[in-house]
Order: sequence, then C-alpha cells, then structure tokens
Amino acid sequence: MELLEGLNWGLIAPLFIIQLILLIVSFVDLSRIEKTNGPKLLWVFIIIFVTIIGPILYFVIGRRND
Amino acid sequence: MSQWMTLFNKEVLEMWRNFKWIWVPITFILLGVSEPLTSYYLPQIIKSVGGLPEGAIFEMPKPTAGAVLASGLSQYSTFGVLVIVLGTMGIIAGERKNGVAAMILVKPVSYFSYVTSKWAGSLLLVWISLFIGYISTWYYTGQLFDWVPIGEFFQSFALYGLWLTVILTVTVFFSAALLSPGLAGFISLALALIVSILSGALSHLLEWSPSQLTSYAGALLTGGKLPSDTMPASLTALLLIVLFLWFSVFLFKKKELAA
Amino acid sequence: MSLIQIKGLKKSFQGNQVIKGLDFKLEKGKCIALLGPNGAGKTTTLRMLSGLMKPTEGSISFSEAKKDGDIRHLIGYLPQFPVFYDWMSGFEFLQYVGKLAGLTSKEAKERSLKLLELVGIIDAKNRRIGKYSGGMRQRLGIAQAIINRPQLVILDEPVSALDPFGRREVLELLERLKKETTILFSTHILNDAEEVCDEIIFLHNGEIVESGTMDDLRERHQQAKIDLIFHRKTEGMERTFRTHSLTKSILVDGNRISVFVTNVESARKEFLKLIYEKEWQLDKFEVSSMTLEDVFMKVVGK
Repeated sequence: MELLEGLNWGLIAPLFIIQLILLIVSFVDLSRIEKTNGPKLLWVFIIIFVTIIGPILYFVIGRRND
Repeated sequence: MSQWMTLFNKEVLEMWRNFKWIWVPITFILLGVSEPLTSYYLPQIIKSVGGLPEGAIFEMPKPTAGAVLASGLSQYSTFGVLVIVLGTMGIIAGERKNGVAAMILVKPVSYFSYVTSKWAGSLLLVWISLFIGYISTWYYTGQLFDWVPIGEFFQSFALYGLWLTVILTVTVFFSAALLSPGLAGFISLALALIVSILSGALSHLLEWSPSQLTSYAGALLTGGKLPSDTMPASLTALLLIVLFLWFSVFLFKKKELAA
Repeated sequence: MSLIQIKGLKKSFQGNQVIKGLDFKLEKGKCIALLGPNGAGKTTTLRMLSGLMKPTEGSISFSEAKKDGDIRHLIGYLPQFPVFYDWMSGFEFLQYVGKLAGLTSKEAKERSLKLLELVGIIDAKNRRIGKYSGGMRQRLGIAQAIINRPQLVILDEPVSALDPFGRREVLELLERLKKETTILFSTHILNDAEEVCDEIIFLHNGEIVESGTMDDLRERHQQAKIDLIFHRKTEGMERTFRTHSLTKSILVDGNRISVFVTNVESARKEFLKLIYEKEWQLDKFEVSSMTLEDVFMKVVGK
C-alpha cells in the first residue's frame, strides 16, 4: 500500500484513460471488420487479457485489409 | 494538384476509418512514457517487493533527465520502427494485390500522385504520432525527473523524425516494387536492422549513415551537444528519401497493374 | 468514324502466346460484344485495351489519345471482379473516382447521385461497400466505369456472376447506356451478346474466328439446314447423312442430327425417302436456317 501512496496519480490516470480508449477502439474495429488473421474470438481474448500490448498487436497484425 | 489532394484526403480519411489516427499515437505515447515511469518507480517497486536482504542499503543512482528521455526516445527506433513498417508495408502492394489499384489507375490518375500521396499520408501519421508520443515522454520526464530544455527536445525530435521517414520511404519503396505486403515488410525490417547494426559497429567509418541520427539525438540529450556528424547524416537521410521515393514511382509505373 | 484501331495485337505470358494477333476497329456509338468460350483471351484483350497490360506486339490506337499515348480519360473499365475500398460508402466511392477523373467536387456529387439512381442502388448510397451484395457491387462497378462519360466503356463479363434476376437488370442497364456511349463487353453467353449488341467479335484460342454485325453474320452463315430428331439413333445414320451427296456438313448432338445442305428442296425429298426406306423412327423433321448459336458452335468447333 505504501507503494500506491507514492504514485503520482496525475501522471498515471491519463495512461489508464488512454489504455481504455485503445481497448474500446480495438473492440469497435474488431466488431466491424469482416476477417482477421486468425480466429476473431482469439483476438477478443488477446485484446482483453493482454494489457496494452493486446490491442496494439491486434491493430498491427490482427487486422486484415484485403 | 487537386487530384493529388483528393488522393491525399482519401489516405487521411482511411486512417480515420481504420483508427490509425488513434492507435498509432497512443502506441507512441505508451512506448515513450513507460520509460520515465519505470525508471522512477523501479527502486520503489523493488523495495516493496522486498527482494533485498534485511538491512541492505539500497542505492541506485538516479539517472539524469536527459538519459531517461534518450532511452524513452530509443523505443521509437525499435518498436516504433516495427509499428511503422508493419503498418505501411501493404500501402501499395496490398492495393495492387486485391485489385483496387487497377480500378483506380484506369482512371486518368497520375502514378506520381498515387504513390506520393500515400507516402505523404503515412508521413503525416508518423510525424504526428512521434510528436505526441515524444512530447508526452518529455512531459513525464520533466514531472518525475527534471526538465530537458525544449530546444533539445525539438532537435532530437527532428532527427528521429528524419530517420523514421527514411524507414517509411524504404517500406513504401518495397511496397511499390513487390507484390507481397509481407515480403515488403520483411525486407524493409531486415534492411533497417542491418543498417543500424552495421552503422553502430562501424560508427567511425559510417558516421554519415542515417541510422546514426538516433545515436546523435541520444548524444544531444545526454551530453547536451550535437555531434558534428549530424549534418552529413541528415543530408544522407534526405537524399535517400528523395531517391527511394523517386524509384518507387519509377518502378511502380513500369509494373503491369493486372497480374 | 472509328474510335480505336487494333493492329496485330499479341500477348504472351512466359513464352505462351495467349493472344495470337488481333485486328479490328471499333466504331463510335456501337455496342460490340467480345464473345468466346472461357480461356479464349477475352479478359487479356480487354486489359490491353484499357491500358492495364502492355501488348507483347502490335498496336492499339485511339483516335483521340493524348500526345503521350494516355487513353485513360477516354475509357471506363469494369473488371470481371470489381474491387472497391470496402470502408467507403457507394456514394463516397463514386465521388472519389469522379474527382480523380477530373470532375469538380460539385459535379462529382451530382453525377454520383444521378448514377446511383440510374443503376438502382440509390437506397444503399450511404451503406459501406463491404456490406453490398454481388449484384450491387456489379452495379456500382458500372456506375464508376461511366462516371466521367467515357467514349468507350469496357466491361469484362458484366453479367456472368449474377443471378438471372440481376442479369436481366444489368442487361437492361446496358441497353440504356448504349444510347450514350460506345460499349465493348465480353461474355461467354451468346444470348447476352445477341440481346444487347449490334456487333460481335468471336474470339477463340486467342484469335478472331468471326466478326461482324448480327445481320452480316446471319447472312454469311445463312445455310439451309435440316434438323432431324430420331427416336433412337442407330449405327450408320450419322455416316449415311455425312456422306450424302447433298450434305455440306453435319452437327450431331445426341439424337439430333443437323445437316447443312446445298439444296433444300431436293434434300427434303431425298432425306424423307431415305428415312422411309431405312425405317428409321423419326420424331421431328425441321427445315430451318442457321441460328447464331449454330454459328457459334460451328466457329468454335472447327
């Protein structure tokens, strides 16, 4: 708990918000897109469970443009 | 010119629709900002986890603000490059592979505009993302450590931007020259890696190499002075950008659109 | 006045000659069908005409080409499988190509709406193209091909991928389009060609085997023909007719034997007598002239 008190929330909170935006946006995109590289359900799990990196991974390699 | 703007606007709009304008800047923020945060909180984390024996005096030199900012910036030459290459490799090859390029280019569209508008669209994305990500890193570093002079921030920003533009242009070139986005991405990454390693190892011989721009930006932030080789390296970078872009258009023109 | 002149057009892929030397002209204001079985070289020919492929040999000259040979402002092209930016709406896509083709924003907007109306997808104008059905994509494809009022519209198999319903609608659309511009379209279905077009170019194995207006073709191939349908075909029937002195050639299709003859009147008598003598069981005896279908079969068959 001592650790949490030491945190500067003014700096940490924006990052949480950004991360949330990333999460939402990747879900919106996933719901719109027709095909992904690999099963769609897999990407749902990756986005939810792999913090931060999950949504980014989805955008970089999960999306299929053709 | 109005045709070029039409093409360019389409690129910008497409990046809204596929959320590139959101996720790329966010990725750049997270990449950069994680550096000052971890360097600042790492000692606390280690202490609270209690990995040290009782009574041991925990002493870790506090890094300078410049060093923290430099290492935040260096994230962009690794993960940033990866994001740029993977995000750009299909820009032309993808459109040609799925046939939409043929639909567009049977219209009286200039090949030069087609290629350069795509390049310019990505360029805008890269520079804006880099700026947003890097200025956040600078702000966090200032809050947690010390303020790095804004002039040094802008100079190092420009140098990194230049190097990332080289990477981007090379990727666009391979995307125009090859039919496969994957292959274009692979070759671009391999090339960036080889050039970086080679220039790093032979830095006394290849001081003009554009990949050295990243180390010069780091040197500026840690040492406060820009190495004298920055100028030739920047000029090489500019030259490469123009050459690769020109060759992209040239090669693309020669290809048959229908495979 | 001829719009395009094609001379000695050849195309090879890896040493394999697919188009073996085409010569033809397209007249302004006509509707021409490029007809041929699959693999005849129709798509390759159209791609060369649209500038997407370079001919290995030969020349394509448009009378109104620009000095540098650019002909793209003159043509509209619809590939066999049109591809769009699926993230755009139909309306957005048309405006986009319209502007690329040189229209102002305002013109592009008006023209797009008009075309969406014309091809009948105005209700779906704001829907993402990714959600369009095959027929809608085809229609959007036609709309984008004529957005800049091209002098020549090249359509690659515009109706092949459609169901009978969509096919009918697109054919009617072509009928209307015909009044405004020159149309060149490929098909492997004779009926489609016959229905819309004034002229036909038969392509087979990369060569033009026959061409001309519908009337020309009918006249040229006008031959007296006697169709015989037998209840059961027996040995020797085919040989008997093939070797008959009045026979020019025959076509056999199951129990049907079509005999092209030199003199209908005597053939009528002779054949009936022959059949009576041999006691062949005849289901149908018909004297007719050749249909285009027969021309097609004959031309492709040789």
